Amino acid sequence: MASETRKVVVHLRATGDAPILKQAKFKMAGTDKFAKVIDFLRRQLHRETLFVYVNSAFSPNPDELVSELCNNFGIDGKLVVNYACSMAWG
Amino acid sequence: MDNKGAATEAQHYVWDGAIPLQIHLHESEVTTLPPPPPALILAPRLGYLPLLAPQIKPFFSSSLPPGVDTVWFEYKGLPLKWYIPTGTLFDLLCAEPERPWNLTVHFRGYPVNLLIPCEGEESVKWSFINALKEAAYIINGNCKNIMNMSQSDQTELWRSVLHGQLEPYLRVSSKLKLDIVGDDFSLKLNTSRQSNSDTEATGTTKSGKIPVRLYLRTIGEDIDELEDVSTVDSWENISYINCPVEVHGEGKSFTLNDAIKALLPELFAEETTVDLDSRAPESEGGEGSDGGSSRSSQKNGESSCARTGLFSDGAEIKLVRIQGIEPRLDIPFGWVVKNLMNPEQYLHICIYIKVLQPFTMC
Repeated sequence: MASETRKVVVHLRATGDAPILKQAKFKMAGTDKFAKVIDFLRRQLHRETLFVYVNSAFSPNPDELVSELCNNFGIDGKLVVNYACSMAWG
Repeated sequence: MDNKGAATEAQHYVWDGAIPLQIHLHESEVTTLPPPPPALILAPRLGYLPLLAPQIKPFFSSSLPPGVDTVWFEYKGLPLKWYIPTGTLFDLLCAEPERPWNLTVHFRGYPVNLLIPCEGEESVKWSFINALKEAAYIINGNCKNIMNMSQSDQTELWRSVLHGQLEPYLRVSSKLKLDIVGDDFSLKLNTSRQSNSDTEATGTTKSGKIPVRLYLRTIGEDIDELEDVSTVDSWENISYINCPVEVHGEGKSFTLNDAIKALLPELFAEETTVDLDSRAPESEGGEGSDGGSSRSSQKNGESSCARTGLFSDGAEIKLVRIQGIEPRLDIPFGWVVKNLMNPEQYLHICIYIKVLQPFTMC
């Protein structure tokens, strides 16, 4: 189906003392849940506790689809995800 | 009379709304004979199931096997997503309202592969605040007002949700400047008293974006009675759409029907309005004869079905339910939002769609 193939470009941005990843930009299927982004970051950073935000503003529910987050909050068609090791934005 | 921040009658009904629950302890966790009787409690519509745990625990604590509590609920085998408001779960999962609503509680064996983890009230509060921030972002383009809340306001806001108290909620939430669009229905009623400058000062026409969470269930065409609708056995069978509705159309009222049309354009490919009560009888043999319309709905499918993509031709709305009521679709959307939204500023809409072919996951 056409909807399956739609990819979303995700930009990962470190905040505070969180380490910067080598690959900060990647594509994922629009039908993936935000939980996948969180899991990916956990594995890359080897941390259980991580705070993940969209547009430096809020933490979406892990069940949300990245395609919808990108539709609603994307900047120039890309989903900007900020991550921090301690709580950054309330 | 129309002071800002004062509660409407409908808001009182919504905030006082509750669902009678009959909660059973799952048999695998019963270690006593006889098994404990079910617990009967009232669950606020605007509340969340894990918040009931402190009330429920005493009924079952003496029957539980040793271990650490991780509370979760299920309805007819479906683990319930704890961050969806209780009233929305009820509207969505009980096609024909069941009272009391029979739920099963588990204190052990959290289904980590099906539900996102929940560590009691803290998790629910985190989820609530972030949903509120998300809504604020949709309305204002940022969450500054939420982030700048004083600690005491934050505490009061959460407490008002926890205890279902409308007045304190309005006191704090009015400071957040999240008044969405003008409630054009009330505006019309008050035009005699309201000058143009007043309208501007109250900021009634802001971005015009309304945060909406929409839940869709499909039912077969042969089902007429809601009690015959089968139960949901997987969340895969429910389509969930998180999409703001942009309110436009100056002069004329933007109705609930307009909002649903904006959310589900593929259902409105041919008709201009849906009137649940006076559906024109369609000739059975008519389908297939109109090549043009099927082409247009295909095109529509490509553009907007990225989100849903599950409608067969001829799908139609069977039921629209918000806060337990089935509102008329010609009600001004501004009224619906103002009165029926949840405290995190999201309007939760449940829609049952009747499809011609039974919907199967392939």
